[in-house]
Amino acid sequence: MTVGSQVKQTLASLKGAQGTLRMYALQAQDEKEKNAYTEALETTNDVIKDLENRLKTLEFEEPQFKGY
Amino acid sequence: MKEWMEILIRSLGLFFLAFFFVRIMGKKHPGKMSTFQLVNYIVIAILTALIAAKVIPSFRLGLVALAVWIFMPMLMDFLAIKSKILHGLIHGKETVVIKKGKIMEENLKKAKLTGEELIRELRAKNAFSLADVEFAVLENTGEVNVVMKNDKKPVTAHDLGQKVAPQTEPQTIILDGNILYDALNNFGLNEGWVKTQLKGMGVDLTNVFIGQVDSSGDLYIDLFDDMIQLPQPTVKEMLYASIEKSQADFMKYALETKDEKAKKMYADNARKLETLMKELETYLLH
Repeated sequence: MTVGSQVKQTLASLKGAQGTLRMYALQAQDEKEKNAYTEALETTNDVIKDLENRLKTLEFEEPQFKGY
Repeated sequence: MKEWMEILIRSLGLFFLAFFFVRIMGKKHPGKMSTFQLVNYIVIAILTALIAAKVIPSFRLGLVALAVWIFMPMLMDFLAIKSKILHGLIHGKETVVIKKGKIMEENLKKAKLTGEELIRELRAKNAFSLADVEFAVLENTGEVNVVMKNDKKPVTAHDLGQKVAPQTEPQTIILDGNILYDALNNFGLNEGWVKTQLKGMGVDLTNVFIGQVDSSGDLYIDLFDDMIQLPQPTVKEMLYASIEKSQADFMKYALETKDEKAKKMYADNARKLETLMKELETYLLH
């Protein structure tokens, strides 16, 4: 498995986690709990952005694996 | 008037009268009443029975006696609320029986409590050894309340220095296969949400006996058909696990990559995810 596809896997699982976090941020009743989820959502957003940028570089470096 | 008719009418009238007055006299548990209150209730009960069975021949005179025993405690309760001194006089004061681990013998004598009785009361509070008790109070209801020594207290989350998620009470939204719309609306959810959740579990609404939603909006259900094994909601644990996995991945990439800039980016994000995990731990793992 190339680095690129590993990073893609991590990205996918992070995005899955973000989806679940978003769900809890919406349906949590307690104000504090809701805030915790919303903050977590923002953090994951930043992390995902960084990872996507890195992926672009990787794809540029090894174009033969692009799209997998 | 025939005699049985008179007794019937008296009994019926007093039945409702007693029912009504006992209701408005307050919400106290019989076991938690002071001795005098108990006497008072017994007098009311006996008077009612005597009047109803015509042992007291005059209905009116009987009612006068009953009125005194009904209204006096209400008046005393009212005064007790208004004045602290009167409250002490009427309800009595609690007595400290154990202080700093030592039994106060004079106070025991004043309260007419023997050593055996005290030990029995302590046992009822799970304090089998006197050495474990720091402080004990004899309430005016005869109940003994106990503070255990600090090292004998059950461990709380505070002692462990652990944060715990605040838990609001769960709401019951499904009962006997019917959706309770009031509770559902209180939570800001609708019928469609319930249907989706049940569909996700593969369960029909008519098969649900009780369905509860907790503070984070997870649905827990109990089915009529106990043969069906339902998966317990583990979404939160899964979420925590996937964040943990991603964090580990970032650490790995940070070690593997040769690119300095990327190394820093991975390490930074790994740290971010770690703090995130710490914050969410209280909510996701419990």
